[in-house]
Amino acid sequence: MQPAGQYSRDRCITGVHGLDEILRGGIPYGSTVLASGTCGSGKTTLGMEFLVRGADAGEACAHFTATEPSVKLLENIRQFQFFDVKMVDSGLINVFDMDVLYSWLGLEKSSFDLDDVHSLIKAIVDIVNTIGVTRLVIDSVTTLCYKIKSEQLIRDFLFTLGKKLATLGCTTILIAEITSATENAHWSSFGVEEAIADGIIVLGDVERMGHLLRFLQVVKMRGTSHSRAKHAIELTPLGVMLTPMLKWGAVSDTQNRWGA
Amino acid sequence: MAKEFKFDEEDEKFFGSVGSFGVPKFDNEMHGGVPRGFTMIAFTGTGSGSELFAKQFVSPAEEAENTLYISTNEGQAEIVRIFQKYDWPLDINVRTIGEEYNSNVLEKELLASRYRLEGFRLEDIQRLAQTRFVDDVTQDYLTEVTNEVMALGPYFRAVIDSLDFFLQRDDPARVVAMVRMLQAHAQLYRGLILISVSTDGLSPSVKQELASIADMVLSFQVRTIGTDFETSMIVSKFRNAPENLKILVFRVTPEEGITPETVERIA
Repeated sequence: MQPAGQYSRDRCITGVHGLDEILRGGIPYGSTVLASGTCGSGKTTLGMEFLVRGADAGEACAHFTATEPSVKLLENIRQFQFFDVKMVDSGLINVFDMDVLYSWLGLEKSSFDLDDVHSLIKAIVDIVNTIGVTRLVIDSVTTLCYKIKSEQLIRDFLFTLGKKLATLGCTTILIAEITSATENAHWSSFGVEEAIADGIIVLGDVERMGHLLRFLQVVKMRGTSHSRAKHAIELTPLGVMLTPMLKWGAVSDTQNRWGA
Repeated sequence: MAKEFKFDEEDEKFFGSVGSFGVPKFDNEMHGGVPRGFTMIAFTGTGSGSELFAKQFVSPAEEAENTLYISTNEGQAEIVRIFQKYDWPLDINVRTIGEEYNSNVLEKELLASRYRLEGFRLEDIQRLAQTRFVDDVTQDYLTEVTNEVMALGPYFRAVIDSLDFFLQRDDPARVVAMVRMLQAHAQLYRGLILISVSTDGLSPSVKQELASIADMVLSFQVRTIGTDFETSMIVSKFRNAPENLKILVFRVTPEEGITPETVERIA
């Protein structure tokens, strides 16, 4: 048995340049992480790179897309050199259209009740279990939760899904859409996602010297110590690149300035 | 101003002012047949022979491509078997809504229940991962059927057997509106339409409305006499020809299908 001070959970190495360093080695295995961001902040690219790096290591990955058709998603992601469509063709990355899944489950309705939510959880867990998925991305959980009318049901859905995926050793990124990523903003649309998730990664924009810079900040990550500093993101053809952001200069960072 | 259609003189001569019911003795009883442009509503009881009469009605098929038989209860194979049995033309247009509904809706619902209860198998997941679009299967059969009949040209002949399917799934007001449109189309193009509807569970107001739209109202009935069944059709409305109102007892023969036996006048 390890002494309490030395114990550390196994990590799911994201493979995203700079993110594993922030997380001191990666996301603890089986965690459900909320990647919340404003539009155009790089959420989908981050989620896709997370899967690609897993597929590179031979892991089975799954992506559930609810915000855009998979055809469009795959077409957009092809511009990145890190992505190879063969990963999809070979079944290493399995891309599922939520619309198709809803149709197959008879869930073509405007709102889901308890039975529907359980059917959806069962279907996702089935897929993860049957093909041995170790990395999962749901893009976006916000779109999915719009169909779940009660806050309690959203809570049940996320909690049960997270628990079952954790049992299967699947590390999950739930992409959430938010309208603002400033200090006072909520990290999720419904408020319950952020409380249930094991980790929260926030993506947004800051204005610096007249430029709009993308940033990423790990707000919470259970099971590991991590940096809580904002990091600048660059979406390059090779993937997402994170670099530490200087503390001064950002318009929204005035309170962090020395002497402020 | 009311719509008008200019008919071809040759067509007028060929088709005449009346069409056959497909039952020669019935044509005689109705003084020659059914006037072109008529919409007939047949109120039916279980086992009263209305399905056979519906098929017999399309059997004259003056123009096969302009003849449409829509069944909501029977499959293609069963319809073909009956047409072959009586040597009726097989080149008419047949649409089996019941079969389509089974494969497009019920089978899908059944499969969805299976997925929900038993979960996905590996081959299901592989197929799901390769399916990029939701099947765009329209389920508005009422609109489809209306459009299909409305697309038929002058002197068409169409049967809808039966309206129950639509009344059970759609707003009855929409169904009645559809019948009204079909009646107008038949009148304009001198077509013939027979629509059957079961009296079981039919609301009196819908029945009344259908009867008022129709140019001719038939009722198919079956009753027991001793150990025998007696089937009859009652002509309770015949627009502008009240002399045609009759009760006709009929039997089914292997040669002629439905054949009236005796004639009685409604008291």
